[in-house]
Amino acid sequence: MSSPLKLNFSKFPEAGLIIVIVVLGILLSIFGGEVQRPKMVMGSDGQWTRAMEKDASGQEIPAFVKVNNFFNAETLTQIAKDTSFFAIMAVGVTCVIITAGIDLSVGSVYALAAVAGAMYMNQFGSDGSPGAAVGGVIVTLVVALICGALNGVMIVAFNLHPFIITLGTMAIYRGIAFVLTNGQSIGGFPEGFRDFVRQGVIGDLSLVPLIVMVLVCILGTIFLSRMAVGRKVYAIGGNEVASRYSGIRVGMVKLLVYIIGGATAGIAAVLALGYYGAASSGDGQGYELTVIAGAVVGGASLFGGKGSALGAVLGAIILQMIATGIVIIGIPQSYSQIVTGVVVITAVLLDQFNRWVSDRRLLAETAHIKKEVVQASDAAAPVK
Amino acid sequence: MAFLTVENITKFFPGVRALDDVSVEFEKGSVHALMGENGAGKSTLGKIIAGIYTADHGTIRIEGQEVRPTDPLSAQKLGVAIVHQELAFCPNLSIAENLQLGTMPRRHGFVERGRLRERAQALLREIGVDMDVNTPVAQLTTGQEQMVQIAAAVGINARIIIFDEPTSSLSVHESDQLFNLIGRLKARGVALIYVSHRMEEIFQLADTVTVLRDGRHVSTEPVAETSRDKLIRQMVGREVLVQRPKHLDLTPGDEVLRVENLSSVGQFENVSFSVRRSEIVGMAGLVGAGRTAVAKAIFGLDKRATGHVYIKGQPMPLGNVNRSMRRRIGYLPEDRKKEGLVLMMSISDNISLPHINTFSKFGFVDHRRELQEVEKLTNRLRVKAPSIESITAGLSGGNQQKVAIAKWMARSCDLLIVDEPTRGVDVGAKAEIYQLLDEVACQGLAILMISSELPELLSLSRRIIAMREGFVTGELSYEQFSQEAVLNLMA
Repeated sequence: MSSPLKLNFSKFPEAGLIIVIVVLGILLSIFGGEVQRPKMVMGSDGQWTRAMEKDASGQEIPAFVKVNNFFNAETLTQIAKDTSFFAIMAVGVTCVIITAGIDLSVGSVYALAAVAGAMYMNQFGSDGSPGAAVGGVIVTLVVALICGALNGVMIVAFNLHPFIITLGTMAIYRGIAFVLTNGQSIGGFPEGFRDFVRQGVIGDLSLVPLIVMVLVCILGTIFLSRMAVGRKVYAIGGNEVASRYSGIRVGMVKLLVYIIGGATAGIAAVLALGYYGAASSGDGQGYELTVIAGAVVGGASLFGGKGSALGAVLGAIILQMIATGIVIIGIPQSYSQIVTGVVVITAVLLDQFNRWVSDRRLLAETAHIKKEVVQASDAAAPVK
Repeated sequence: MAFLTVENITKFFPGVRALDDVSVEFEKGSVHALMGENGAGKSTLGKIIAGIYTADHGTIRIEGQEVRPTDPLSAQKLGVAIVHQELAFCPNLSIAENLQLGTMPRRHGFVERGRLRERAQALLREIGVDMDVNTPVAQLTTGQEQMVQIAAAVGINARIIIFDEPTSSLSVHESDQLFNLIGRLKARGVALIYVSHRMEEIFQLADTVTVLRDGRHVSTEPVAETSRDKLIRQMVGREVLVQRPKHLDLTPGDEVLRVENLSSVGQFENVSFSVRRSEIVGMAGLVGAGRTAVAKAIFGLDKRATGHVYIKGQPMPLGNVNRSMRRRIGYLPEDRKKEGLVLMMSISDNISLPHINTFSKFGFVDHRRELQEVEKLTNRLRVKAPSIESITAGLSGGNQQKVAIAKWMARSCDLLIVDEPTRGVDVGAKAEIYQLLDEVACQGLAILMISSELPELLSLSRRIIAMREGFVTGELSYEQFSQEAVLNLMA
């Protein structure tokens, strides 16, 4: 019999990631130190203004507050925003990875979709019409879906390894974006769109990307763990032959996960368009590796069959916390990549260790059953 | 004194005693056949001599010296080599490279390609085979690959060569070539151990024959002093494992499956038979006879199959699993780990996998209903596990097999094809699986059972269809059942 605690832990494998995030947060708060920030007050008209105070000589000077370098609203929102883009895509790529596939083209899909949407909004919306913003969003998403579907169709139809197909489309999609824009950055969007994405939700803090990330995480979780097709995603990654022998249309499911991978890149592209107000073919370069790293840190197995939407988001958060933490603690930025690399490998090693421990526990649990079976068969074996 | 002796060898596998106190003597320059039915222990004995398995008790002596091969490499050092079906080579490398994997001719760290080729050619010439040594092993036929395995054995100066069912997937021409070669090796004074259950070969090839049954030694005789009938009598006679199944007392119902002239290039030809409701039809044959290929074609896994399959009188298009499943056909594959189960998933996930859509509403899984149904099945099949959420990888073979069968019980089938339903399953679970098959047959299911275990076929089936080399060689009704009759048709 397993204790309730063990049961909970095995049913909630992301608990470990949350612990890591909390520990990281505490460490960064302790070692981050404090900074002085201008003190702001909200006036009766709802506008934020700098608070003033009198110094020793009675003169009015701007007031400052001491805040924790890490644990303050601005830094946390900044991390949340930066994480959102990666985390949303990591959810999509996790679906792909669970089928034992890979999608290297997410960064390029992100760039091409953003560029396409930007061109549409630039063309029809420079006068600020809200219709153009909606149209731009639709264009962005549709382009991303088409890119994902093309990946899926080629992988299934040509029966080639997804690494090869998406390595190719990674270059192709970015190339198309470059040709379309001639390498220029495209801006000039309807103001309203930008304001919507950057609007302050709590006070001045813009949380729209964060909210979208949470929504994508919830949708991803529902898809993977509540829907029949989600179960098929895991089954294909676990054993493709057995899945086929169980009547699963493996090709259709694979096509779907690559479409989802594209769709999440499209959602991230929409947010980026709004947040940065411009797009260029160079956007999102190298994102694919960050996204895959996030998924893997979040527990997705590149061999397939393992992973979760929540894990992907938490993995992306951990990577972003480390990237930000390096700046906060004062380690030179140039070390950031080294640390990220070490973290990815350590996380996967920890995960393997964790799996080894749980396998041993499983064996211990079933040991008495096997013993019974052997005894039973000894009893049943014909005597000479 | 004999050249090679094994004394009192005993070997346990989980749940079974594969060899029980077996002692045999083997001579130089002679072919010694090991015969017996599936599960008799003949392959196990060969593999113990070759160091692939280690015996739990007993000793092996070469020229009176006790030896303890613990792995194939240490057996090779003693001059023991094995030729078998499992791929022993790196398929991407050439014949020449494979033949000298550990002993590549090198100079200053670089491989000397000329000497590599020469040595390999010399080895092949020695056994009288003509092949291009630059060919990658992946491009060879099974027969050619065996030739290379033999060349490798000669290359290490093997004094003892074990052939483990070498002809089971060879063409007639390739077999003849192999037999010639074995004759030459014999003349060179090599001790040859030949594991097979093909009668003709034994009489053509062997000097001495040892029969094993249920892991025990039955007889060792010169081939000249025995006969086909005598050998069959010695091989059979295993006790029947279950009491008479109840479905035999029922009258079979309407025809559920009718197969007409089913063919698939290189696999089987013009296969025709039928299975009725409440009937278990056994399918007998050796490995490679085409039984599994026929089953897969019926289940829609063979896109190149031609011919006609009728389910309850209605023609069914071939080559589409989903269509076959919609016609309520279930298929228990022969290899549960590779084809039957998703090992990293839980018991309940595996059982509901083929029917996950019927457990769902608007694409969402009704988890409560799923667990209820699965619970019912695991109770009925007596799956022993900590919980139905346990991962299937941790279960014993018998329990895994029960889960694989339960997959097709979750929604009623009309036809269930079971391929080696008790392979690698302990005795207790075996009996339970027999009982289950009988029970569902009584409830009206039509069952096609492929099995390599004769007692299983004889005690459970109402009829037996025998296949050999892709053809149906005959059909036996219950009154005609005997191990001799089945062996006659399949071997």
